[in-house]
Amino acid sequence: MISLEVQNNQSFDLSVIPFLSKEDFRNSVLEGMVCGYRMIGLTPLNNDEPEKLISILADARSSMIHLTGGVFDKNDLKFESFANLFPQTNYFECELAENHGYMLLNHPWLRPVRKQNMISGNKPYQFYKIDGEEIHEVAVGPIHAGVIEPGHFRFQCHGELVYNLEINLGYQHRGIEKLLLKSNSSQSIVLAESIAGDTVIGHSYAHCSAIESLSKTQISLRAQVIRSIAEEIERAAMHLTGLGGVANDIGFSLVASSYGRLRTLVINSLALICGSRFGRGLFVYGGVRFDLNDEMVNSILNNLQIVRDDVEAVNQYLFSSIGALARFENTGVVQNELAAQVGLVGLAARSCGIEEDARIHFPYGAYRYSPVSLINLSGGDVFSRARLRAMEIDESLRFVIDQLENLPDGEIKTNFGNVESNQGVIAIVEGWRGEIVHTVFTNDEGNLSHYKIKDPSFNNWYGLSLALRKTAISDFPLCNKSFDLSYAGHDL
Amino acid sequence: MKDAIKVRILQRDPVVHDVRNASLPPLFRGLPIIDDKVCADGCKKCAEVCPTNAITTNPVSIDLGLCVFCPLCEESCPEKIIHFSNDCHLSASTREQLTVTKDTKYITPEKASEKIIKYFGKSLKLRQVSAGGCNGCELELNALSNVNFDMGRFGIEFVASPRHADGIVITGPITKNMARANEICFEAVPNPKIIILFGACAISGGIFKESKEIERKFLEENKIDLYIPGCPPHPLTFINGLIDWLDKK
Repeated sequence: MISLEVQNNQSFDLSVIPFLSKEDFRNSVLEGMVCGYRMIGLTPLNNDEPEKLISILADARSSMIHLTGGVFDKNDLKFESFANLFPQTNYFECELAENHGYMLLNHPWLRPVRKQNMISGNKPYQFYKIDGEEIHEVAVGPIHAGVIEPGHFRFQCHGELVYNLEINLGYQHRGIEKLLLKSNSSQSIVLAESIAGDTVIGHSYAHCSAIESLSKTQISLRAQVIRSIAEEIERAAMHLTGLGGVANDIGFSLVASSYGRLRTLVINSLALICGSRFGRGLFVYGGVRFDLNDEMVNSILNNLQIVRDDVEAVNQYLFSSIGALARFENTGVVQNELAAQVGLVGLAARSCGIEEDARIHFPYGAYRYSPVSLINLSGGDVFSRARLRAMEIDESLRFVIDQLENLPDGEIKTNFGNVESNQGVIAIVEGWRGEIVHTVFTNDEGNLSHYKIKDPSFNNWYGLSLALRKTAISDFPLCNKSFDLSYAGHDL
Repeated sequence: MKDAIKVRILQRDPVVHDVRNASLPPLFRGLPIIDDKVCADGCKKCAEVCPTNAITTNPVSIDLGLCVFCPLCEESCPEKIIHFSNDCHLSASTREQLTVTKDTKYITPEKASEKIIKYFGKSLKLRQVSAGGCNGCELELNALSNVNFDMGRFGIEFVASPRHADGIVITGPITKNMARANEICFEAVPNPKIIILFGACAISGGIFKESKEIERKFLEENKIDLYIPGCPPHPLTFINGLIDWLDKK
């Protein structure tokens, strides 16, 4: 395939991206996907030049990212869809049509991504409907029963069984990508922290890595280690939240409250480092804002040791309970082949037996020197997703404790230079849900000209739809919580 | 059974018993303290670095409704005039109370009307509406029901249906796409009802103030009862705000 090959966080000159004719672009991208590359972005060079389209494919085996450009007809933006051959591109194409006015040819199912009830060309959108005797429709949301973000779900059911679940999002759309283009540096970090408030560290990590690469800023080893400590603390905390939610949804309240208590200890550890329970304010361009001292290290180690011991007992109680296992096992199954075809990422993919972890396949920061283990399970059901979380908590705690005991010396902040002009970078971070991708381009003046964010939820919401097929509608809350996807991260 | 007992024993006593005086981590950024010093000539550094333009200078004042509690102003001030304390009592009953000046030593909401205290003083059920919230505020509101903060002991709980609620708690800047749903939800709450704004985005639009995708008409048309500043606010800010407002001390 004809492409520009770059590594994670490697900045490149925009002029070296090969821009091919429409036909060559199509052939080249198809060639890449035949080789098993996964799409992580489909976005124009900038909002004013929608005809210059760039496809970004990731190859986990070689840790390389492939960028291929295509030049389309500005007055007649028509895009021949890949989605019939490679369903993983489906949603990227829907987004492209919605954001940049592309008309999709031969697309299997054009759906709105963030707009309400409208598809490209301002045509009204009709939800998918099944006809037949005894078929009924259940509509839920946008406001749900609980303290949770908004989204609309349409179930096509036959009796108790769900035949199709359509997920309609966009209620949280705040226009982050556009705001990032006109904001100054102090605003940008706060915006990045607010992409998904449960993945503050993940998104600010990706954002800072991208901007640091564009300005050729090297950050110190100590800062890198503190960043990944924060990332793993966030992972452990959110996995504990997720497990608590799963336990709560099956009415297992002692376990749910225990996970809740342990999570408090974990996020309070993050507050010891930076004052915020979610890690806000920790990241700055060129490193981190707060340093660790011995007293902090000891209190965090103390907290995490309690968590480590207690979580083992709580896991033991949950995963040996026959009642819990009966609800978890074979509920909401996503088959391995299907998961690979639609391009699931992160925790959802690893629970279907797909080996996929950006910390290992596209290593960055401290993970280059201190690797983490790739953990995956093959069941693809609620049990696998819950169990995998429990295992990842152990691994994260091990990593954090290891790193805290062997903190490298040095500065925590390096001087941050100016962002260079006409450059681009792809920054990948493995957030607790999965792969976060920030694609950033700059213009002649060295200002940001394009900012594209891909949260793992963008890939994985469709996985939830698949999990619900032929599953009882009463299991929806459990399945939903086992994926624990972000509305804000999807809606941007 | 043995596992259950073990888990219960490990639970110990995690409750924050004294929510009024609970201590927070030293780095926690709560009420900013502004020293009674004079700024260097024409210095506007704090206002320039503030991501949400929450600061006016000469004399320095900070609007906590906009503040996202990043420590940039504290860092940039050459005279060290601004300093974030770890006091989490920040809730206010009027928007004006949220402006912190050198004279502000504490913020406490004025007591609710007699009618509100009579109706909701012992039991308050709230419906939360996430209208563009990033899930940071939502997580902190969820944390209120966990074993540590256990808000239920004060008679305050979140309910599923607005019809069962006495008021709504809004998080997020109110996106265009959620504006109508938010109105419908509030209409469904029986009278008398209250509105609580949780977090900088809800109070002022916060970092999203300039976005074209938000629609904040609802807030102009309705009376706001309680403001809980923060990004996200600490659960104790919420609990203490309600305790003060409903006079539950």
